[in-house]
Amino acid sequence: MLKITREQLHGYLEDALSEAETSRVEQALRESEALRRLLRSTMQERDHGDHSIGAVWCRHRLSCPSREQLGSYLLKVLEPAQQDYIEFHLRSVACSFCLANLADLSALHKEPAPRAQERRRRFFESSAGYLHVGRSGKK
Amino acid sequence: MSSEADRLLIQQIRQGDSRAWETLIARYEGRLLAFVERRLRDRSTSEDVVQETFIGFLNSLPHFDDKRELQTYLFTIASHKITDHLRRSGRHPLHTASEGAGDVLQQQFDHHPAASSMARSHERRQLEEEAITKCLGVMIRQWQERGDYLRLKVLELLLVKGWANRDVAAFLKISEQQVANFRFAAVKKLCEHIRAAGLPPEVFPELQA
Repeated sequence: MLKITREQLHGYLEDALSEAETSRVEQALRESEALRRLLRSTMQERDHGDHSIGAVWCRHRLSCPSREQLGSYLLKVLEPAQQDYIEFHLRSVACSFCLANLADLSALHKEPAPRAQERRRRFFESSAGYLHVGRSGKK
Repeated sequence: MSSEADRLLIQQIRQGDSRAWETLIARYEGRLLAFVERRLRDRSTSEDVVQETFIGFLNSLPHFDDKRELQTYLFTIASHKITDHLRRSGRHPLHTASEGAGDVLQQQFDHHPAASSMARSHERRQLEEEAITKCLGVMIRQWQERGDYLRLKVLELLLVKGWANRDVAAFLKISEQQVANFRFAAVKKLCEHIRAAGLPPEVFPELQA
């Protein structure tokens, strides 16, 4: 198994890892003093304002396929090279944002519409009272 | 960057348009729910966290920069809400880890920037991040347009995952020399761009290797 890298720790600190990777990092942190030191040093780097190019790449989703491309990927209608790259991005890079989009797209036609509408209504009713904050900046 | 449709939506929400707010919820709740649920593994709790995410978004809307991509911004808020929830419910590893691990995990959520970080201003760091984002974004788009997916995979494994050259070579079944060549060319270009922007490459540790 590959060791946990500084870049993965940056991803961990930004919650940008997949579920499996997050578990692996947390398990390794419990077991390894050396890794805990590396996490401390990664946090110090962030405090000092050092950047991680990998973290910037993830944060700005520089290579993430669009939602439309993910839809085409699900339908398997992309060019083979592009289909293969998205497969790599999802499975090998395990981009948590794209995995969430993919799960949502996959669920779109499976979840009964009334359930989704009910959920959206709840989200709306619980938050609409805050619309004036977005408008004025005052609570 | 937010799409034109998202920018318009945000503009309407800023004017207090509840229909626009309803549209934003319908557009993003599914992916946010999937993002939160993968971490919390509980539907009902995840829905609560998404609800908090939407409220958090409205509270932060006066400070939202339209140049940011809306989806990414919402995911960032959701990440913070996940962390808050895990801490509140005692499910975060710091509550179950050995003391040593707990200490360091505790710092993740309780630490504040050290004094030295105040020396380089937020604006300065933003400038640096914008410069690297711009250059890297152009490079990635060029590789995608050319169909140079092998190079993209190599650089993504090197920079995002932090894998060593030999691991990348073995995984992609190419030579270590080819991986080294791709790395060298990309680092050279990024360094040139950073210097041309009048910024110090030293703040990007990967460019020093």
